[in-house]
Amino acid sequence: MFQVIGGRSVQAVRLLAPRSAVLVEAVRGRKSRNDPVAKSKEGRIKVPPPVDPVEMVVLKERYSEYELIMRALRLEFKEEVLRKKYEKETGSEAEQRVRQEKEEHRALMDWNDQENLQMLKARILRIQKEEEEAQSKTVEAAIQREEELQEFIRQKEKEILQLQEEAKNFITLENLDQRIEEALDNPKNYNFAIDKEGSVVKRTVLQ
Amino acid sequence: MKGRYPIRRTLEYLQKGDIIFKSKVKIMTVNYNTHGELSEGARKFVFFNIPQIQYKNPWVQIMMFKNMTPSPFLKFYLDDGEQVLVDVEGKDYKRISQHVKKILGKSEEVLQAEVQAKMQASNPANFGPKKYCLRECICEVEGQVPCPSTTPLPKEMTGKYRAKMAESQE
Repeated sequence: MFQVIGGRSVQAVRLLAPRSAVLVEAVRGRKSRNDPVAKSKEGRIKVPPPVDPVEMVVLKERYSEYELIMRALRLEFKEEVLRKKYEKETGSEAEQRVRQEKEEHRALMDWNDQENLQMLKARILRIQKEEEEAQSKTVEAAIQREEELQEFIRQKEKEILQLQEEAKNFITLENLDQRIEEALDNPKNYNFAIDKEGSVVKRTVLQ
Repeated sequence: MKGRYPIRRTLEYLQKGDIIFKSKVKIMTVNYNTHGELSEGARKFVFFNIPQIQYKNPWVQIMMFKNMTPSPFLKFYLDDGEQVLVDVEGKDYKRISQHVKKILGKSEEVLQAEVQAKMQASNPANFGPKKYCLRECICEVEGQVPCPSTTPLPKEMTGKYRAKMAESQE
């Protein structure tokens, strides 16, 4: 009926006000609801242990005193815990601590602002430098383009001059007859061989 | 392990994080860019340090915004409505984390004090309910007398034997 599990045991004890009353109660142990009572326990009437009145009075006194003291101690300890908690939250030290924390926080925020300002300055400088560089680059690009244009013009002029030079040797209508005469008078021989250096090695005989 | 730098996902790495925010800090916001030399520090900070911070501060909301502003910054939203702006353009990620730790992290002595308080509150020498203490009874300790509920005590240790002996001697 009794099962001891690590110090916790389940007991069903009902103390009625008249102490010598009869207990007709069984603990649900091994048997279930509908099982009949055992043969050896058929007419059994459980009787609680007899109470000695003198002892009872003495015990009541002592127990009441004991419980009073225990209750007082427990309440004392609870109050102490609550007081400590209250002190932590809203005590004189707590206020000081809060103030100090506020001051520290403000100091740190100021330091952070300083850092931000420095970053801002650095950034402004950097942006200025980048702008200047961009401007100089555009100027350089313009100059480059100008130069290229000039170069182009010069090249074209050179070509024109060269062409003018060559124009002197052109065959025109006036020169036509003269040049034909010249060409017929001076036959040119294109049959020649050259070696690796480019100098003429052999010439065939013109016919 | 999977992914780039999977070490970021190990418990050891996460527990090594040393930024623990003050209880005032509720939200942390990081604005950074995915490209650009100036955001490099912020990107590395997000990549390496944010997991550690979130592990150590599970109740702080951390949000990341990408490519919303030309320059990277951090913003903290505190309990009393105050907003703290930290400019991190061009900074190194280690410097960023040191900066953050300095302005909004719990200092070393505060952490030590907290550890002490916790140790005092949870003294390993206390016996009591499992929720608050390590052990409930001395019988649970190795090398001590086992619980009489499992093995009966030797006769000489029981109270009734001793009482009988004391009685028989008087």
